[in-house]
Amino acid sequence: MAIVVKNKIEYHHKFDSKTNRHYINGILSVLHCHHYTCLYTQLALDAGETTLLKECARESFQDLLVNYFLEHPNHETITQKVDIASQYYSLLGLGKMTVQFIGRFSGSVELLFSHTDSGWIKKWGTYDKPINYISGGFIEALFAVCLDMPPNSFEAVEEQSIVMGASTSIFKVTRR
Amino acid sequence: MAIDRKKVIEQMSQIDMLPDENGIIEGFNVTVNQLPTDFWNAFAERLSSKSSVDMRFYKEYLLYNSAHECGYHTGYGIITSDEWNAVVGPMLEKIPEDILHGAFAVFTAWGWANTEIVELVPEERMVVRAYNYYEADIVDYGSSSKMSAYMVRGVCAAFMELAYAGPYDPKGKPVGTYECEQVKGIECGDSYGEFIVTKAKES
Repeated sequence: MAIVVKNKIEYHHKFDSKTNRHYINGILSVLHCHHYTCLYTQLALDAGETTLLKECARESFQDLLVNYFLEHPNHETITQKVDIASQYYSLLGLGKMTVQFIGRFSGSVELLFSHTDSGWIKKWGTYDKPINYISGGFIEALFAVCLDMPPNSFEAVEEQSIVMGASTSIFKVTRR
Repeated sequence: MAIDRKKVIEQMSQIDMLPDENGIIEGFNVTVNQLPTDFWNAFAERLSSKSSVDMRFYKEYLLYNSAHECGYHTGYGIITSDEWNAVVGPMLEKIPEDILHGAFAVFTAWGWANTEIVELVPEERMVVRAYNYYEADIVDYGSSSKMSAYMVRGVCAAFMELAYAGPYDPKGKPVGTYECEQVKGIECGDSYGEFIVTKAKES
């Protein structure tokens, strides 16, 4: 099955024809569209469950990143891990991120492109508050994994948002 | 039936979905992502399980509706794509029934669920069976009393609308013409999931 190296990250796609399931880098994965992502996000907003959405994202992406680095132990330094984890964000189709800085107590991440924000704008137009809780969960996982700290060590809060009309989204990250 | 389901699944499952330089995956006239199934399952199950019975009804409806809208737009993107035209297009004889059968083969190829239509009364009723679907993975042992295949339900209703609810509308107006009920579930101890699509009571 396809093994593609995109930038420095490996993309190993396997379709199990017995179960009809797709595995990307060994993780059971599924294709969904921006309508689904946006409607789940809208549901989380309506139900007051945005924290749950971010938590589910963080836990899932934590497993994914931990698994990747276990399979690819050649990425040893924080710089290498941040680089690969940022590329993984793109590989998932979530957009493009730049980690501005990362530390044991705080950090900052900029999204240059965002699947959820652009999908939301395409579907409903701009919005008056941030909506990208899925990326917030990814960023929290990225910080914990790259710094080899326990899950849920960090909180990412979206302080500037593409969906609100900004050119990029900015997440401020703090230690819990 | 003209659709060679095995061939459709074989060919449509091999497409690699790689992002552009901006980390965006464009395909089938929508923007797609490829997230772990665990993420989708975790949110749907934790959201619905912790609710009171009344609140659960609304939350489950919204989970179902997410897939219903997604299935309508993405389904249309699939059946008008170059990949569809190349693989499924030559097999189409009876329209729209063959399109429906082909769409469920692609549904399977995408890893949503191994589904096939077991009964179809054009414009009226469709019964779909799912022999393997990721939403059933919420149970590791035993069986749940709650049917949880919101995504499969929603997409089944959407595909019926694409076949029988008039021309595609980018604003999704036909969404809701049909409704789908899950009557069996692997997560509930059945050997397969079963989904019945009928005209919506309100329409």
